[in-house]
Parts: sequence; structure tokens; C-alpha cells
Amino acid sequence: MPLIELEGASYTYPGSLSPALDSISFSIDEGEYVAVVGANGSGKSSLLRLLDGLRPPSSGEVRVSSLATSSREGRARALRAVGLVFQSPVDQIVSSSVEEDVAFGPENLGLPRTEIRRRVDAALAAVGLAGETRRPSHFLSAGQQQRLAIAGALALDARCIAFDEATAMLDPAARETVLGLMESLVASGRTVVHVTQDMDEAARAPRVLVLDSGRLVFDGSPEELFASDGDSIPALAVLGRPDCAVLARALGLPALARESAAELASRIATSHIAIARTAASRGAIDPDAPMAFELRGVSHAYLGGTANEKAALREVDLDIPRGALVAFIGRTGSGKSTALQLLDGLVAPRSGTVRSLGVDLGGKSVDLRGIRMRAPLSVQRPESALFELYAADDVAFGPRNLGLSGKALVERVRAAMEEAGLGYGEFRDRRTRTLSGGEKRRLALAGVLAMGGEALLLDEPTSALDPATKASIAALIGARARGGTTVAMATHSMDEAAAADLVAVFVEGEIAALGDPETIFYDRYDPAWGLRRPFAVEVAIELEKAGLSLGFRPLSLDELVGALA
Amino acid sequence: MRGIEFFRNVSIGQYVDSGSYIHSLRPSTKYLWLIALMVSGIAASSWVGAAFPFALALALGARAGVRPGFLLRGAKPILPLLALVALLQFLFSWPGDDSAVLLSLGPFSATAMEARLVGMTFIRTLGLMTVIGLFTSVTAEGESMHGVEDILSPLERLGLRPQRLALAFGVALRFVPIVAGELEDIAKAQASRGADFGSGRGGPLKKARAYLPLFVPVTLRALERAESMAEAMEARGYSEEGRTRLASYPKRRGEGLARIAALLACAAPFVLDYFAQRL
Repeated sequence: MPLIELEGASYTYPGSLSPALDSISFSIDEGEYVAVVGANGSGKSSLLRLLDGLRPPSSGEVRVSSLATSSREGRARALRAVGLVFQSPVDQIVSSSVEEDVAFGPENLGLPRTEIRRRVDAALAAVGLAGETRRPSHFLSAGQQQRLAIAGALALDARCIAFDEATAMLDPAARETVLGLMESLVASGRTVVHVTQDMDEAARAPRVLVLDSGRLVFDGSPEELFASDGDSIPALAVLGRPDCAVLARALGLPALARESAAELASRIATSHIAIARTAASRGAIDPDAPMAFELRGVSHAYLGGTANEKAALREVDLDIPRGALVAFIGRTGSGKSTALQLLDGLVAPRSGTVRSLGVDLGGKSVDLRGIRMRAPLSVQRPESALFELYAADDVAFGPRNLGLSGKALVERVRAAMEEAGLGYGEFRDRRTRTLSGGEKRRLALAGVLAMGGEALLLDEPTSALDPATKASIAALIGARARGGTTVAMATHSMDEAAAADLVAVFVEGEIAALGDPETIFYDRYDPAWGLRRPFAVEVAIELEKAGLSLGFRPLSLDELVGALA
Repeated sequence: MRGIEFFRNVSIGQYVDSGSYIHSLRPSTKYLWLIALMVSGIAASSWVGAAFPFALALALGARAGVRPGFLLRGAKPILPLLALVALLQFLFSWPGDDSAVLLSLGPFSATAMEARLVGMTFIRTLGLMTVIGLFTSVTAEGESMHGVEDILSPLERLGLRPQRLALAFGVALRFVPIVAGELEDIAKAQASRGADFGSGRGGPLKKARAYLPLFVPVTLRALERAESMAEAMEARGYSEEGRTRLASYPKRRGEGLARIAALLACAAPFVLDYFAQRL
């Protein structure tokens, strides 16, 4: 029996000319597990708000349990039947303690205290937070906060839980926990709708819907979707395919939507693929390069000296050579962001010394503003700091502070925008607010690139972007690094880390390992880090186990394919 | 070297969970204490009277496992304001002030009366900040919200909605760290692009313009986050009608005594005033 039905449903935001969703029709049965994919701005989030009853369709009909959400009663039923888990963990926490947050929904239903208590306890047990009832909700980790949001929906007795890119801001281990929870929800008979931009995640669901500019362009199994060529579904060019399907296709094997590294390796081993043993050529860091950044015995704590003191870094030593691209990886809260901010003096360490670009930041008359402009930092979600009305003006803010004006200023802005993939002619006079999410990120990065610094510090520069935008931003960072700029970058993407010169692994405020990606992912790798290896590395290790020696250790799918074909 | 960290000196709003007896009192009792100590600190006219709430707050803090250093640090941000008060007292004279001149510099002078006024302002403000800091360190956010609800519940008969007020209050409290976090992030982002807040030279317009790179995005982000939170609340069926509440605050042993003690603490400074005048 269908739980959710859409019939020609469209939605246009007030004040917008084009619809965010354009006559969408499909239905979801009770107990189904459905993934919804699409590029940034394709209408995925709007779709969830329609399913949930938060917004009524502008035309067409949305029914939850056979009741149209445009009626008052239907809306109330939809809100109860469909629980939403949003992307940003913090923004959906309503109350200050774990149990009160879960109780918020049942309290709204006007349930008696004993029933609220029963539901809160059951919901917290279901997501594995039973021991945390009294904890202040803002002290939970990002992954725990997402589990808390799921508990909030369960306590409403929701029959369907809809996830709006709920894993996008999580580290690999927390992501795995939330994905596991989705599967156990399905196993217990609940319906799960998972909006995501990660094709490996999407392939876990037996059914995938693809949205492209507000239209439903595909509704079928992931096998069907990822086996189809790009011509029939143009959105695939932006979304890409799961790693296993990419690799299988490149090797001429039938592509499966979901396959472990071991399974794929055994298919490769038995398929008589010739092994070319072409080792990839990788750039190496100049061993005599002077250091751009040096941390010695650096410790830092937030809210230092208060009752809520939280250690961020402990006795960290770190050397970053000039011209290197260094990736900081580690779980959320492991100290990556703090380390980046220490490098340009945005955070002052409690103890230890920081030398940046040859300057001791602890010195008495140190010019911090000068250092920050030589090694500018792009914070997480840098687009939130855009402030000028027009795109080019925002990029010009930094160069102006450097004292540039006139022709030199225009040239600097033009070059930075072009580098970030925003044509100067097309974008300079665009209003910042009207840009898409991906364009805003590019603009914010252009503002940092325009500083022309000797070093770049980037905090999760590709987070929450669609795969195509992610890849092009990763490419532009790589190009900068090859041009001689020192780059330190925090990332949750192991593939991006594998493309760096050096990888620093942060575990609870300490650097657990530092080395080139090959050393980190092959020799030093430890599952206790809470991360995962790049898929290409996993497959190569499995091939080795199966007795198929490649003669070298690939770090990316391209390198692996090059070694095989 | 100075980093950009805004929350270091704020002890107000930071709950210290030590599970003491004081923590376990009903929120309404804690509010009674808060109001009692604030009123008496402001109204007392003698030195001892004004210092009483300050000393009592420190003592109660010690009982509740809240370090005095933590409470005192909360008063740090207001020190510049107090310095300004002192300066104004020095620059301007009170009409009819014939108390002894302690210090004079050209046309300006500090008299005994002015020194007393500055001292009293100092001790009162210090007391106020300490009392508020103590209240927030022993009262969790949720409790302070429910406390408002309980205290205002008699007003329901007048058509007011205490739950709504309490929720607005609670959400506002939750937004303080959120907005401060956004402000810190954005200040860091702009500092990386060479922004130099505060040293803007030129006319007032130019100075105000220097803050645009902070003000515009922080306002936008705060609005966006408020919208997200409103949406999250709506998605969980927020309604004003017929809400119930999970939290309950049963009477603790000695709760009545604690309330009487609050009234006595409120009266104590006036008694101290009386004796201070007799001496």
C-alpha cells in the first residue's frame, strides 16, 4: 500500500519565476528504501518538504496515507508520518538536553508524561544514545546529533524517515553509523527516503529517483541507473557513479551498483585482464625545501580555563614544506580546523610555538594581519562570509586590503574568478545572493585565491557540493599546489587526501600519523582512526591478497585502471 | 599574539554540571534567589550592603562546585565600562559636592563623594554579574526556560501564553552561542582577506563601513539559521495548543526553607545598611 503518493506535484517558491519542482509523479510504498539524487539545486530538498507536509504543492497533489497534504488534517498527518532529518546537525536541535529534544515532538502532540517518557526512552535506545539522556545536546558530536535527530522523528512514531543530505557533514565513521541506522529502520518495517549526492550511498537503496532541474528523470534500480550511458540521463555526468561501477566500466566488466572491494577484486582476478604494471608518475616534494609552517609542542583548548574547557590539540609537532599540498584528515572534532587556524594566527596556542612563512607568531611585534594575508584561510562554508552586493566586488575585498587599485585590481579579480571557474564577463555583475550554492562556493574561494598568498589554508573546501563541482574544485586546488603554492587542506574525502603530497591524520587532538598518501593508506593505516581507505587502495590490497601483484601501489581509480589495462 | 576567540571570557550562560543540592532546586526557587540578590544588591546604599550579594554569590558558588575564578571572569568584559564611569566622574563635578578633594588636575578633580560613587558602581556591577553568572552555572538552559513558564503560569488567566514566552526565551538563549559562533567564523574569514576591524580611520561613515563585511553576513546567517530552526520545529509538529511537558520538578527537601532564605537574603543588605549608618 502506498504511503506517499505524488501526482503531477509542482512547487514554485514565492517570488521565483521558475518552478523548483515540475509536475512530479511517483509513489512510495510502506517499508520501501528510496534514494533521491540530483545536482546542487535540482529540487531534492524541496521534494522532501513536499513529502513531509511542510509545504503544500503549488499544483498537483501530494498524499500521505491517502490524505492530501493541502488539507489541514492531511498536513498534520504528513508531519507525523514523515520525520525529517536535515543536513546541518546543529540547526535541528530545538532543546538544550538530549531527552528534552527527543520529547519535543511528543510534547507537541499533547501526550501524557508517562507516554512521552516511554517514547523518548525507546527512541534513544533505537539510535544508541540511551546513555546520553541528560547530556547537553550541543556537546554531542555531529554524528551523535544526527542520531538525535533520528530519535526525534522516531518519537513522533513516524512511519517514514526522510534524510536531507544528512550524512554530508559527517566523517566516514559517523556516516557509516547513520547509513547502518537507515538499514535497520528499513529492517524494522519503516520507510526511508534518503536524499544524497554520494552515489555510493545512493546505491545502497534498491530504488533511486534522479532529479534534474526540478524534473524526475529516472525512477528505477541503481543497477539500471549506473549501467545506463550518460546520453539517456544527462544528470549522470554531474553525479557520477559509485566507485565500484566506475572501475568495472573502465575495465570493461559489467558494472554493479554495489560491490565490495573484495568482490570486485575477485571478479578482476578471474577475468584475465592483462596487467600492464604501469606505475603512475607522482610528483615528489623537494626534500631540501624550506618549511612553510612549523608547529612545535603546540597545545590548544577552547573555553580555556572555564568549566567547559575542551582540549583541541595536544603537543602537536608538524612541519609543512614549502610548495607541498598537505591534507588533514580525521574525525569531526579531532583538531583539523584548529590546526589550520593556528597556522595563520587566527587561533593563539595555549602553549608551544608556531612559525609561519618564516615568522614566529609568538613574537612581540608580529604582524598577524600581514601573515593572514600571505596565508589566507578559507573557513568551512566560506560562502557564508560573502557580503558585497555584486560578485566581483566581493572578490575585490581582499586585494583592496592589499593596497591594489585600478587596473591591477581588476586584473587580480579577473584572474581569480576565472581560476575558480567563474567567467569574469559573465559573473562580475551578478548579484551574490542570486548565485547557486556551487557558484557561491567558487566565488568565496576566488576571494581567497585573489589574495595571491604564498600559502592557502582550506577547511573542507568541497563539502556538501555535488560530485562534478567537488571534482573541479579539487582540480583547481591541485593546480595551485603544482604552481608552487603551499596548501594545507582539511577534508573528509579520502580520495582528495590520496591526491595530496602529505597526509596528516588527526586523532583526538594529536597527529597519529604523518606521511605521503602511500605510506598512510598502505603501511600506517589503522581502522581505529575512524576513517576509510580510498576504494582504489582497498581493491589493490584485495588483488594482492588474490595473488595478483600490480608491481606498485595505486592511490586512485585512474592509477589502478592504468596499472591493469 | 592574539587569536580570535569570543567565548573565553563569558561565564554567563555556561552551565556547570556538578549535581549539587543547589543545582537540584526547582528552577522557580533559583529565579527567586536571582531576583532577591539582584534587587538587594542594587537597592542597598552602604558598602557592606552592596557587597553582601557578591560575597553570598561566591559562597553559594563554592557550595555548588562553581569556582570563584570562573564567576569573577564573567565581570571582565564590563571593566572598560566601569573605567568610563570613573573617567566621567573625574571630568564632571556634582553640583553642591563639598566633600574632600582627593586629586586634582587643572580644572578636573576627584572628590571623596565621586570616589564613593565609583566604588559603589563597581561593587554593584561586580555583584550583579556574579549573581547572574552563578544562576546560569547552576541552572541548565531547559530549566531556565521551564522556570519562566512556571513563574508566568498564573498569567495564563489574563490571556498570556507562558509556554510561548518561555519557548521564545529558550530559543533566544540557544541562539547566543550560535550567533557568536557565526560571528567568529565570519570574522576569521574576513581577517584572512585582510579585514582590520576597529582601526578604521576617517569619518563615522567610513568607520561604520569597515564593519559591513561582518555585519551583513552575520545578520544573513542568523536569519538563515533561525529559518532552519523554525523549519525543524515545524517538521516536528510544533503547536501552541495542548502541548504537554516531559520535565517535572518535584519539590526537594528544604525547598520551602530555601525560598524563605532567599527572602531573608533580600532583606539582609537593608539590615546591614541600617547598622552601617548607626556606626
